[in-house]
Amino acid sequence: MHVSGTQVSNQKDEAALITRIRAGDESAMADLYDRYSGIVYGVALRVLANTSAAEDVVQEVFLQLWRNPQDFDPDRGKLAPWLAVIARNRAIDLLRKRPMEDDIDELPIATGVDLEDEASQRLAISKVRGVLGQLPADQRRLLEMAFFEGLTHTEIASKTGEPLGTVKTRIRSGLVALRKAFS
Amino acid sequence: MKDHAQYADSLALYAMHGLDDEREMAELRQHLDSCGECRRELEALRADVALLALSTSGPQPPQRSRERLMQAIAAEPRIQHKHKSRFVLGRLQSRWLTVAPIAVAVLVLIASVALVRENLHLRNTRDQLARDLLEQRQKAALAMEVMQMMNDSSLPRMTLVSAKSVPQPQIKMIYQPQKGHVLLMANNLPALPDDKVYELWLISANDNKPMPAGTFSADQKGSALMLHAMQDGGIPAKTFAVTIEPRGGSPTPTMPIQFAPAG
Repeated sequence: MHVSGTQVSNQKDEAALITRIRAGDESAMADLYDRYSGIVYGVALRVLANTSAAEDVVQEVFLQLWRNPQDFDPDRGKLAPWLAVIARNRAIDLLRKRPMEDDIDELPIATGVDLEDEASQRLAISKVRGVLGQLPADQRRLLEMAFFEGLTHTEIASKTGEPLGTVKTRIRSGLVALRKAFS
Repeated sequence: MKDHAQYADSLALYAMHGLDDEREMAELRQHLDSCGECRRELEALRADVALLALSTSGPQPPQRSRERLMQAIAAEPRIQHKHKSRFVLGRLQSRWLTVAPIAVAVLVLIASVALVRENLHLRNTRDQLARDLLEQRQKAALAMEVMQMMNDSSLPRMTLVSAKSVPQPQIKMIYQPQKGHVLLMANNLPALPDDKVYELWLISANDNKPMPAGTFSADQKGSALMLHAMQDGGIPAKTFAVTIEPRGGSPTPTMPIQFAPAG
C-alpha cells in the first residue's frame, strides 16, 4: 500500500490529537468530534434508522474515547475506521438489545486508506459505495444483513434460504471486492 | 477436520461477530492460533469491514449533539498527575520556630469552624440531592416502563375502530415545542423497501419551511415508535407531514406527502 506524505502528516496530526486528549484537553476532543462525528453518526443512523438513538451512540462512542483514550493506539492505525466499527458494534448491541461489549484488540485500525481530511474521506466513501453498487443485489443484501443488521450466518441462511456455506463465501467475496478497490 | 479454505470463508463473519456456532468459533480460534496466513487475512477482513462502516458516512449529527458531548466531557472527572510540594523544615529560622505553633493553632481553629459550617451546608445539599435523585429515578422508571411497553413488539397491541372498517395506517404524535421533542407512534404502516424510510417534517409557523423531524421504519406488524429531538427548541409548528425518503433521511421532503394531519 502506498503511503503518501499527506497521510504521514495526518497520522502525526491524529497522534497529537490523541496525546492532547490523554492530557485532558477538551478542545482536542471538540476537534476530533468535528472531524469524525459524521462517520460515527452515519453508521449508527444506518443501523438504527432513528436519529435520537443514533445521537446516543455518537455520545457514547466519543465519551468512551474521552474516558479511555489509551484504548486507541495511533501507532497501530487510524481513528476513523476504529470509531466507525465501535459505532457499528454499539448500534447493533442497541438494535439487538445485547449487553455492550467490545474487545478493542479486535477492532480494525489498519485500513491503509487515507481518511483524515474531509476530501480524502469523501473520496474513500464514494469509492466504497461504487464497489457496493457494482455487487449483485443479493450479495449486497447479504453484506448488509450481516453488517448493518447484525444477523448471524444461521439467521441469514434461514432468512434468505441460501445454504450456510454460500452465505459465508458470498459475504467474504463482497468484502474482498472492497479491499481490491483500494489496493 | 476442515480445510484451510473453509476456515477462510468463516473469517469474514467472524470479523463481524456474525458466527453463532460456539463449536465452529472454538475450532476457528484454534486454527487462528496456528495459522499466520489466516490471522493476516482476519486483520485484512476487519479493515474491509471498517470500509463498509464508512460507506454510510454523510448525514451530520445536529449541533446539540456536540454541545451535549462537550457538557458531558466538562462534567467528567479526569485523573490528573499532581506534583506534590515538599516541605524543608531545616530552612525555618529560629523566630519562626516559636511563633509558628501559635499561628498554626489559630489557623487550625479558624479552619475547623469553617469546616463545621461547610459540613452542615454539604449535608443539606446532599439530602436535597438525594431527594431530587429519588424523584428523577421514579420519573425515569415510569418513562422506561412506558418505552419498554411501546418498544416490545411481542406485547399484544390493538387500535379499536368501528367493527365495519378496514384497518388504516394511522400516525399519532405529540410535539413539545419548548424542548423541540417529537413523540410519534404509528400503526398499520405499509412496509417500505430496505433502502427507504419514513421521514417526519415539521412545517414551521414562522416561515412555512419544512424541517426534518426524524426518520422511522415500521416493524413487521406495521408499527413504529420514534422519539426525536429537534436541533433547536422553541420552533412553533404550523403542521406536520410524513414522506418516504432514502435511508438516512433527506434535507428536503420528496413529494408526495404520505401522511398529513386529518381535518
